[in-house]
Amino acid sequence: MTISLIAFAILLAMVFLRVPIAFAMAIVGGIGFGILRGWEPAGAMVGNAVYETGLNYSLSVVPLFIFMGNVLAGSGIAQGLFAAADRIFGRMRGGLAMATVLSCGGFSAVCGSSLATAATMSKVAMPSMRRFGYSDSLATGAIAAGGTLGILIPPSVVLILFGLLTEADIGKLFLAGIIPGVVGILGYLLAVMVAVRLKPDLAPKVGEVHPMTRRDVISVLAVTALFVFIMVGIYGGLFTPIEAAGMGAAAALVIAFATGGMTRSALWTAFLDSATASAMIFAIIIGAEIFSNFVTFAGLPDSLSEMVDGLGLSPWMVMLLIVAIYLVLGCFLESLSMILLTVPVFYPVISNLDFGMAVLNDPEAVVTWFAIIVVVVTEISLITPPIGMNVFVLRSVLPDVPLRTIFRGVYVFWVSDILRLALIIFVPGLSLWLAH
Amino acid sequence: MSGQAQGGAEDAPHDMIPGRTPHRHTAWYRALAVVAAVLIALMIAVTCIDVVGRYLFNHPFGGAYELTQILLAALVFVALPLTSADGGHVEVDLALHLFPRPVQRGLGRLAGLVSALALGFFCWRLAGLGLTQLHEGTRSSSLALPMAPLAFIAAASCGFSALVLILRRED
Amino acid sequence: EELIMSSWLPPKHPVVVNAFKPWAAEVEKVTDGRVTVRIMGKPLGSPPAHFDMARDGVADITYGLHSFTEDNRFNRARLGQFSFLGDDAIANSKAYWKIYGGELNAAEEHKGTHLLGLFMHGPGLLHNNKRKIETPADFAGLKLRVPGGYVGDLVSALGATPLFMSSTEVYEKLSRGVIDGVAFTYESMTAFNLTDYIKYSMTVPGGIYNTTWFFVVNEAKWEKISPEDRAAIDAISGEAFAERVGKAWNDADAKAREVIGDKVDFYEASPEVLAAMKTEADKLENSWAATLGDGYDGKAALAEFRKMTGVTLE
Ligand code: NA
Ligand code: NA
Repeated sequence: MTISLIAFAILLAMVFLRVPIAFAMAIVGGIGFGILRGWEPAGAMVGNAVYETGLNYSLSVVPLFIFMGNVLAGSGIAQGLFAAADRIFGRMRGGLAMATVLSCGGFSAVCGSSLATAATMSKVAMPSMRRFGYSDSLATGAIAAGGTLGILIPPSVVLILFGLLTEADIGKLFLAGIIPGVVGILGYLLAVMVAVRLKPDLAPKVGEVHPMTRRDVISVLAVTALFVFIMVGIYGGLFTPIEAAGMGAAAALVIAFATGGMTRSALWTAFLDSATASAMIFAIIIGAEIFSNFVTFAGLPDSLSEMVDGLGLSPWMVMLLIVAIYLVLGCFLESLSMILLTVPVFYPVISNLDFGMAVLNDPEAVVTWFAIIVVVVTEISLITPPIGMNVFVLRSVLPDVPLRTIFRGVYVFWVSDILRLALIIFVPGLSLWLAH
Repeated sequence: MSGQAQGGAEDAPHDMIPGRTPHRHTAWYRALAVVAAVLIALMIAVTCIDVVGRYLFNHPFGGAYELTQILLAALVFVALPLTSADGGHVEVDLALHLFPRPVQRGLGRLAGLVSALALGFFCWRLAGLGLTQLHEGTRSSSLALPMAPLAFIAAASCGFSALVLILRRED
Repeated sequence: EELIMSSWLPPKHPVVVNAFKPWAAEVEKVTDGRVTVRIMGKPLGSPPAHFDMARDGVADITYGLHSFTEDNRFNRARLGQFSFLGDDAIANSKAYWKIYGGELNAAEEHKGTHLLGLFMHGPGLLHNNKRKIETPADFAGLKLRVPGGYVGDLVSALGATPLFMSSTEVYEKLSRGVIDGVAFTYESMTAFNLTDYIKYSMTVPGGIYNTTWFFVVNEAKWEKISPEDRAAIDAISGEAFAERVGKAWNDADAKAREVIGDKVDFYEASPEVLAAMKTEADKLENSWAATLGDGYDGKAALAEFRKMTGVTLE
């Protein structure tokens, strides 16, 4: 256990000194494995990890779901979603921020990544909110938080990775994310209402409501159609969740061209961004695989299970402890690496516990429930300082807004997230009702 | 996507999705990018042919599983030098603001070198793997495609990415 | 000495629970605790990498299927992958250990490791949800998932379409009608939740196919163990392990048959189908035997195998 903790410390130090997290994990994991096991075995293990990760069939969803989101982001559909949401909330104080949250949720239904959701919606929602005199903190906070829904509402790259790590049914995990995602949207809407109530100068009293154009209607219909196509395809037995990514990408291309919002250069950008984002994600998966092989070899999962047994904690205490660890880790670790590093360690601990609830008697239900909890803590980590990837995305889009302002705007949403997390932990039915 | 807080959206082309790293425009970059785009398109095509084929013509595409695997690996390794050239690997520069500019730049170079070392090691191991596969005649199970070329592509990609990181200039 | 074992099957798989884990515990007992085996909670690489992992020392002990690697290195191992080899996993595994491990010189194909075991599972069946295969013509157009290698060639020669995918994809594909059936054991039907999607399961005497497994320890690590302890471990491995693991497979098959009950129509292949299958199987056996080269008689090995397991082919 000590050597694992030392390795984690070195990993964090390297990351803070700007070594990309993928290579920091690969180096620390490879060297750690070499020290414990010998250099030739470590070399063979590293080579295998790099080669086999590239050939992992299930991971084909990563580039394809990303491509699907990127095509739609480049097709102008997000504007339509935002305009439609604005029709609902436009007359309320903070209405544009609420419209942002709702359209983030809508875009999440066709985009597998939180960062892409935040990036896309920031381009759409930020100019309007600025024009109407919204404070930067509320505006950026709503986008950063709303964007996190991308990995909870299906499709979700994170749920797929979780499914691969735990051999859980990805189709069920997707279903499980829907209700907590809707709860998330409602919570964020409430957060905006509370924020503007407490501090009315965050947002102007009223905006102006534009009539919906034909394009807006088409956008909403297109997103709905694509989401239904994916869900019906998976659950109606037309294609597997893995194949859904390829089918969804093809359908997104059709939609983008049919609605006329796609330029040639936007298409090119969608391809290129998907390729580079995939290589970035695969580098992280490879690094995490190497690091987690080392941690497994060092016996961390076993000693952790033993420690939990030794402490004699009740199952619920263990769950809360793990959630607390996630919240702390979430401050420092990038979200994908956090999941890839921790799930193999914590999942064996969780799967052996008896939570004394009828809905959690089925081991499969426990995995699904734990998946949603992990995704929600990951969403929280995306907006928690000092390393909140969604906040960074906004910062890079809006270089004139200080990081501090964004984090200040995020805190109401953070409170809403914590309440939602508690709800999801103590009411497993929210995650399990659709899935089981 | 980079975790770097700075990075301009201003110099990005008009239709660029915000929050993404701007891409390079050298000849090799464009060439690899075209290959990567073709690979993504092929992955989509393979799934569509398989799914549509089995319902419309009752004829699934037997090699879909394996082709997807191979195309995926090719895509990842073709795109790796692009991500490396963009500075697109997730990194964190929060603590760096505490240091003076030259120190920041120095740490950036050092981090690049450390990453290049890891990639160089990958390159070496993958080349060895490729040679072993060549020697053992490793083929894919349904289409019987030789697998060694893929290992060599992967090795070349990691080696090239290492060079890119060593030569990369900080803006 | 602590031996690290990397295990890629699910931790609750019958072979892990009833063969590998008890074997590991017994190693400790027969060496008076001088040698222990630690089974990793998570595999240290993908399943197909597991032979190389033991050879390269990533782990000390690994197991896996010979058919994982599509290359020339486990050519003689295919002895155990043909049809009509035996219905009892214990007899199969013992014969496989004796013949492949003996005159077919398995040790040479597993260079860099010491063999702890070579084994097979119970008889492979052909499951499908389209129709009862009564005549050879009924194979036409059936889309069948096969584990690759011999059984792929066999069903293809019989007119069906073989499809390849990982075993975890089978449920997704079968339940969606992407494939009509699958070549699997009894045990896999319940392990992968396929019972509701299979209607007919065809059996032939001795099984339609089988898969062969290796169980190895890194050679350098093995040499570090004292000769007495090595002898003690060898005594509970090899043939003794074939008995243990064979029983684990048999019990798993029996349990699966009990769970399935009459939800699936199990039927013996008709003489007509059997004859067609034998013709194609014979061709494939001959072409395999021709690749073995001097010093190895594949046909004789198959004949001896069937004699040991009591399968008669007229
Ligand atoms: Na999503
Ligand atoms: Na964070």
